[in-house]
Amino acid sequence: MTSVIRAFRSEVLKFRRWTVLAGAAVMVAVSTFIAYLTFHQIVSGATGSEMSGLIAAFPTSQGLVAVIGQARSVILAIALIQVSANLAAEWTQGTVRNLLVREPHRLRWLTGKMLAVVLFVLLSMLLTLVISGTFILMLAQGQGIETAAWTSGPGRRIFVEFLGNEMIALIGVGALGTLIAVLTRSVGAAVGIGLAYILVLEGIIAVVAPQVSRWFPGRVFNTIVGSTVPLVGPNPSQGYTAAMLASVLWIAGFAVISALVFRRQDVTA
Amino acid sequence: MNAIETHGLTKHFGKQTAVDDLSLSIPAGSIAGFIGPNGAGKTTTLRLLLGLVRPNAGSATVLGRPLTERDRYLPRVGALIEAPAFYPSLSGRTNLEVLALLGGHRGSRVNDMLETVDLSDRAGDRVGTYSLGMKQRLGVAMALLPDPELLILDEPANGLDPLGIVEMRELLRRLRDRGKTIVLSSHLLGELEHVADWLVMLHKGKALFCGSARDLLTQRVELVIEPEDAVQRELVTRVANQAGYAVTQEVHTLRIACPAGFADTLDRLTREAGAVDLTIRVKEASLEQLFLALVKGEHS
Repeated sequence: MTSVIRAFRSEVLKFRRWTVLAGAAVMVAVSTFIAYLTFHQIVSGATGSEMSGLIAAFPTSQGLVAVIGQARSVILAIALIQVSANLAAEWTQGTVRNLLVREPHRLRWLTGKMLAVVLFVLLSMLLTLVISGTFILMLAQGQGIETAAWTSGPGRRIFVEFLGNEMIALIGVGALGTLIAVLTRSVGAAVGIGLAYILVLEGIIAVVAPQVSRWFPGRVFNTIVGSTVPLVGPNPSQGYTAAMLASVLWIAGFAVISALVFRRQDVTA
Repeated sequence: MNAIETHGLTKHFGKQTAVDDLSLSIPAGSIAGFIGPNGAGKTTTLRLLLGLVRPNAGSATVLGRPLTERDRYLPRVGALIEAPAFYPSLSGRTNLEVLALLGGHRGSRVNDMLETVDLSDRAGDRVGTYSLGMKQRLGVAMALLPDPELLILDEPANGLDPLGIVEMRELLRRLRDRGKTIVLSSHLLGELEHVADWLVMLHKGKALFCGSARDLLTQRVELVIEPEDAVQRELVTRVANQAGYAVTQEVHTLRIACPAGFADTLDRLTREAGAVDLTIRVKEASLEQLFLALVKGEHS
């Protein structure tokens, strides 16, 4: 346990790097901007079938989450980039060999490091939702829009549920990013393959074989969040419990495969 | 007692054999030079010893522990493998702190090591702004963090200016005098000649030589022979090759790196074959000449 804590603390020191901080800043800025655009479209009287659900939900307790949740694909994509790039960079930079000489227990190092990285990504997401939520709330109040439902008991409960499900989705994406980084051992390949899989490949499979693809990791991580507020993602057709179980199994599977591969891997970086 | 021992160590990468049935030993408390051309297997051997890659066959012990128990010996080992690798946007000090925290070393070691390698003044600057020589010194500081019993340095003189090389040499000698074992891989054979008291010569993953540098340098000489005609040239080459020594052919001379005693043998054998007026001069061989001779001997 001491080794894991040492690896965790050592990783936290590395968060001072501008690339890590920039990832969090981009997450906050882009998500807040998307939330602002959504808010602006609603209050400026935009019409269209894609907006009707949002406009209907806007004055209800789901309103705030419906607006700030529009950026969740961006949050997931940035989280995937942050996790996979952070781990793969240890190979690309060659620093993995320094680290594994100082901590011979490879899995303890990987556990400590990934706990720190995923925690950082979760805190970035929390900060993003708090900042974008506060920003939208202030904008709405500034324009005299009624926000009592957003901050009511049911409104706060929906926000917490959304946050909880989003955290599980991010942990899932983090586990996927870890596996891709361990397999590719290159920042470019890890980020490219990760984004291509989540944003393109699963989408194509969903068109060809929707019944199968609904169990794929990107889909189940996405749908468990959509179950809170259907306006921010697809509702799980297999049901929330089944989707959550599938998510947990995917996370466990990614973690086990990453551990098995990394433990026996030759470090030639 | 040996700090490192390998027995039949073998490592393949696909169809390529990087380390081939390698058996060697390095005595504790020595500075051991690892010599070999690019692709000789030096870095792979060091990676095997550090547990970074897994052997396909053979065994090894480091500080008395087998490779499978790297958690028992790696805390007592410091290493700088290939080009020093750092986080360029972090300062030199933070880079060391990352490793000190991970290895559970005292925080004060970071400042001590920065001082040892003369980087205290620039410790707060981003590593990305460091020169190659400064990165090299930071790499040595990183390797020294655990106050290791065994220090493995791969090309530590890369990027150092002449003064830096002299300082590095003195640092290595001081560490050896404190009882530490140092394994030094370098292309700078002249530099190794200055500091190494044990030599391992690698070629194509095999050890051509493993033993005391003093023995090698004093027992090995270079014979310079001036044959009068092609018959004498062919005779000398045949005798040397039959004895297992490579012959470097030049326009008017032949050169053979071999033990000093072979000069008399060569003289006797060539006289018996009729070459009575052959001129054989004995010169002290440099490490470079010995290495080239061993490599050519392997080829012949």
